[in-house]
Amino acid sequence: MAMAASSRLLWASRAAAYLRISTFPRAFSTGMCLSPSPPCRRGSYSTRFALLNSVPSFGFQDHLGDVVYVELPEVGISVSQGKNFGAVESVKATSDINSPVSGEVIEVNEKLSEEPGLVNASPYDKGWIIKVKLSDSGELSSLMDEEKYSKFCEEEDNH
Amino acid sequence: MSGGARRVLEAWSLGVVKYGEALQLQERLVADRKAGRVGDLVLSLQHPPTYTLGKRREKAERNLLAPEAELRALGAEIHRTERGGDVTFHGPRQAVLYPILSLRPLGLGARRYVEGLESAMIQVAALHGVTARPGDPGETGVWVGDRKIGAIGVRISSGFTWHGLAFNIDPDLGYFEHIVPCGITGKGVTSLRREVRDGVELPGDEVIHDQLVRCLGRTLGFTDVEFRDDSECGDMIAAAAARQS
Repeated sequence: MAMAASSRLLWASRAAAYLRISTFPRAFSTGMCLSPSPPCRRGSYSTRFALLNSVPSFGFQDHLGDVVYVELPEVGISVSQGKNFGAVESVKATSDINSPVSGEVIEVNEKLSEEPGLVNASPYDKGWIIKVKLSDSGELSSLMDEEKYSKFCEEEDNH
Repeated sequence: MSGGARRVLEAWSLGVVKYGEALQLQERLVADRKAGRVGDLVLSLQHPPTYTLGKRREKAERNLLAPEAELRALGAEIHRTERGGDVTFHGPRQAVLYPILSLRPLGLGARRYVEGLESAMIQVAALHGVTARPGDPGETGVWVGDRKIGAIGVRISSGFTWHGLAFNIDPDLGYFEHIVPCGITGKGVTSLRREVRDGVELPGDEVIHDQLVRCLGRTLGFTDVEFRDDSECGDMIAAAAARQS
């Protein structure tokens, strides 16, 4: 099944964590990587999602600070759109991470056990959290696109 | 904040509640809060002697300095929890507040919420002539010098808060000797009783709880705090339990 939305940037929905998803055309043609990512390229195989700041905080600027622990799910479990699948702990608080999509976890970033700070230091590369095989690629269309997301963040910051 | 809007924080004074029961109650109330069945509220209570460990199990367990059997022999319970933070102790004469709030309508992110919890404790210490401060970078909680007087352990789920703060009024500090509190070595633990100047009398615990709740409410932007007493709380707790089943 082709990733129809792959030609535009997709951003996580309001209720879920702000996650950027990478799509892979070949081996993972039905899968998506929930991963922080560098600046997005447009094209059939480069739609990306990223973990932005420390995830569930509302308001782009008000982040949790240094991440000291990431609670990862097990490979093989299912995630559901909008539902909690793990947690990110900073010195200040532990926050649930919610998935913007439904599917099966096919890989988790074990490096985060040793280096949870990767989520802060390398959010667009090494600090990815899980890879998910989508069960419903139609969910992509319910997620905000970049323009809406930027606007959303602006509104949050102006509280 | 928009002028004229009334924002109410409900305060439930629950007396002494076992840790596990308070946890179950919080879970029900967070679900209720998410569904809009209750408004923003804060549970105000104390625990019987209890050691709790946060999510980072291995680290927290390294900071338990005595075997569990020994701690239980002292009359303490031990719980493993979903909250942030390391290992800590809760007990009588320690004020515990568990705010169950929706952060987004309050215009608060996680950091400002935690700073609000710290600020409430600092303000209450000041009411009794004690100068407290937030922790150094990388440390949470509230300190007098290098002695910790208040702890924070918070869980945020889709923008809804639970767990909260613990403020030492006059607990038995000996219990803290069996842990490395919050995983921070080399620093002691203290209480309001220890820090007030000679001759300063502390009011009853319920007054301190009241002060904490009011300072928290004001700091987080609530216009009103409404207290619910024991009898009303009993009904509401039963109702929450009934909703969950």
